[in-house]
Amino acid sequence: MWSRKSAMLGSLAVAMYLLGLTLRNTQLVTIAVVIFVFLTWAALLGNHADVASSGRRADEWSGEEGIALGNVVAMRKLSSARMFEDGELNVTLRMQNTSSLPKILEVRDRVPEVMRIKEGANYILMELGPRRETFIEYTVECPLRGFYSLGPVAVRIQDAFGLFHKEKELHVYNDFLVFPKMEDLKETFVKSRVPKIFTGAVNIRQPGPGSEFYSLREYFEGDSFRAINWSAYARSGKLMVNERERDAVSDVIIIVDSRAVAETGPVSRNALVYSTRAAASLAKYFLGRRDSVGVIVYGDEVVSVDRDTGKKQLYVILTKLAGAVARGNIPLQVVVNRILPHINKGSPIIFLSNLEDDPTIVNALRDFRARDFDVTVLSPSSLEFEFDAKRIDRTGYEVMKTERDVLIGELRGLGVNIMDWEPDMLLSTALAGARGF
Amino acid sequence: MTINKPSADTSHLYDGKTVRSSAPSRKKAAGQVGTGSAIPEDAIPTVEIPGFIESLLGGPLVPKMKFLPPDKMVQNLQIAVYGVLVGLAFLTYIISPPQGTMWYILTGSLGLANIMQLTIIAAATVLGFMGTFRRDARLSLGSNLLFILAILRFASSKTSLALDVDIGPTMLSVLVVVYAVLLIMYFELSNGVIRYSMLDTSIRTNEVYVMNPKKIVGKYHRSLVTNPILATLLAWFVLSANTILPAFVSIFSEDTGQRMRESVELTSVYGVALGTLFVFITVGILFGLNLPTHLQRFRERQAD
Repeated sequence: MWSRKSAMLGSLAVAMYLLGLTLRNTQLVTIAVVIFVFLTWAALLGNHADVASSGRRADEWSGEEGIALGNVVAMRKLSSARMFEDGELNVTLRMQNTSSLPKILEVRDRVPEVMRIKEGANYILMELGPRRETFIEYTVECPLRGFYSLGPVAVRIQDAFGLFHKEKELHVYNDFLVFPKMEDLKETFVKSRVPKIFTGAVNIRQPGPGSEFYSLREYFEGDSFRAINWSAYARSGKLMVNERERDAVSDVIIIVDSRAVAETGPVSRNALVYSTRAAASLAKYFLGRRDSVGVIVYGDEVVSVDRDTGKKQLYVILTKLAGAVARGNIPLQVVVNRILPHINKGSPIIFLSNLEDDPTIVNALRDFRARDFDVTVLSPSSLEFEFDAKRIDRTGYEVMKTERDVLIGELRGLGVNIMDWEPDMLLSTALAGARGF
Repeated sequence: MTINKPSADTSHLYDGKTVRSSAPSRKKAAGQVGTGSAIPEDAIPTVEIPGFIESLLGGPLVPKMKFLPPDKMVQNLQIAVYGVLVGLAFLTYIISPPQGTMWYILTGSLGLANIMQLTIIAAATVLGFMGTFRRDARLSLGSNLLFILAILRFASSKTSLALDVDIGPTMLSVLVVVYAVLLIMYFELSNGVIRYSMLDTSIRTNEVYVMNPKKIVGKYHRSLVTNPILATLLAWFVLSANTILPAFVSIFSEDTGQRMRESVELTSVYGVALGTLFVFITVGILFGLNLPTHLQRFRERQAD
């Protein structure tokens, strides 16, 4: 391929040549001849720059550089195929020259745009000897969740003066997954009021055989003497017994709004980023408490993870959250209608959404409340993200903030535990705020 | 309209702390942001794209034009440019006498034309020095253009010299070829200063990692020697068409060969053009026969 420099020199040479003939100027013609010689020689050398790939998808390639097929090979190894946001990934790129001639290569391993190179470089200029291989190591930081792919490896060879070059993409890809990062939660203040039929170690908000104190009540016949609270008896003169919270496994449903509007704001600070991180943190917390956790992610389709327990369930949930893409505009009502028949009455429901651009939100949450579900809404405010990024002016911000406050007030009136989650607020603080603590 | 603000008071969460209705940065921003709906400039990420001139001069490896102080390699290239520049300025003046320049045609005064020609050459040299010293591609490009401007002459086919010295036609041809090679080397070296400054800066800012830099630089150094030699030889061959062609034709017909030797056209610039045509038709045929590929295959086999 001609570079712009060679194209310029070529044009200059042609112009000088013709002008030299017109003006009968030997000097101009001579300069043109010298430029032609430079270009010809570089083109002759440049054509040696044959590379080919032997990567995973090499079959797709059919280039013109037939004679040197397979003489530059790239392979890649990742330190891990799964990590959390802000995690680091060590990449080892192995470049081989199977040819018997040395090559000077420019290698660029394509890294997803959101990644940052923390150590080393993914752009290397190297001299690779005949039948030699070399290892290139670099570390990337992965600040955002998602499914990513490293590759292809772009290889370029050019002549010493940068006049002609040949480029080839070695189709070597490595996929990896970045899970949303999680916040350690000590308490979520979310407890089920409805027991499940099998026992566990989770408190639900009903008195019964358990380990944690729930309330005091008067003594009735048949109550165990061990349950009598003698201090309370001394104070009130009546026999009082301690009631304990009933241990049981509860269902927790987390709904994540991943509609297109959820990504309003900067790439690293928007409602979807906050929601997925919150969902991951909550899932970890509840699963650690041996609850059953189900997750519903909706955007252009409703993706659900059935309620289950254990570490495997956390992995499934994290994978779904990592893949959540802001797309579509399914109303919440559709989601509610679909899941209502399948969830236990009274289960805690945690809804993570910026509450924007969906007129069905109030009705949908009313449906939940009418069936006595314990609904908690954490609403990362897209307005704040937009305003922080200076994308909306103050007047617009104030108007929209007022509308948002009205909506939040209306939802609170339905008995929904709701919190306007400001960008700088920790998840645990937002949860405590939502639950009125 | 009265809006009942819902009770979202969570101030008890911040007991003992400074309670703010919003983050300080947001408050500050709210006071600063105007009422316009245009996207502020600082909200748009900066993308550094090489400019036209940067890419014209070879295209940067990494589009970063704020160079760190030059390393030894760049310094050596700069010194080489200074050397070539002095020689080039001198040769340009010698082989482009004021007669036949557009200044002479416009003014009709040899003195003025001489001053103008000297000014252009001096300006080209000074710009070249400054461009190389400051590593500014625009100044170097300006210098290149001025050198080309200096050589534009409505001259007769015969090459003449500014200095009143009597040298033979062979020496004159050598002078012209050396001049042409020096000019191209100046183009390349001044471009090399920019390219290697970019590379050096990129290496030092960890954007590019270079393995075996000595070998890579060595290849460039070798090219700086071999290419001018090759260009000189080939250009010399082309410029000697007026002697080679009659000699070749003389094998078949002595008379025709003699007529060709005496031909005014063949000894003029058209002879050079004819030689160029022959050489580059040959080169074109070789490329058409895919010589580079065969050469590559041969080299691979030899290395095996």
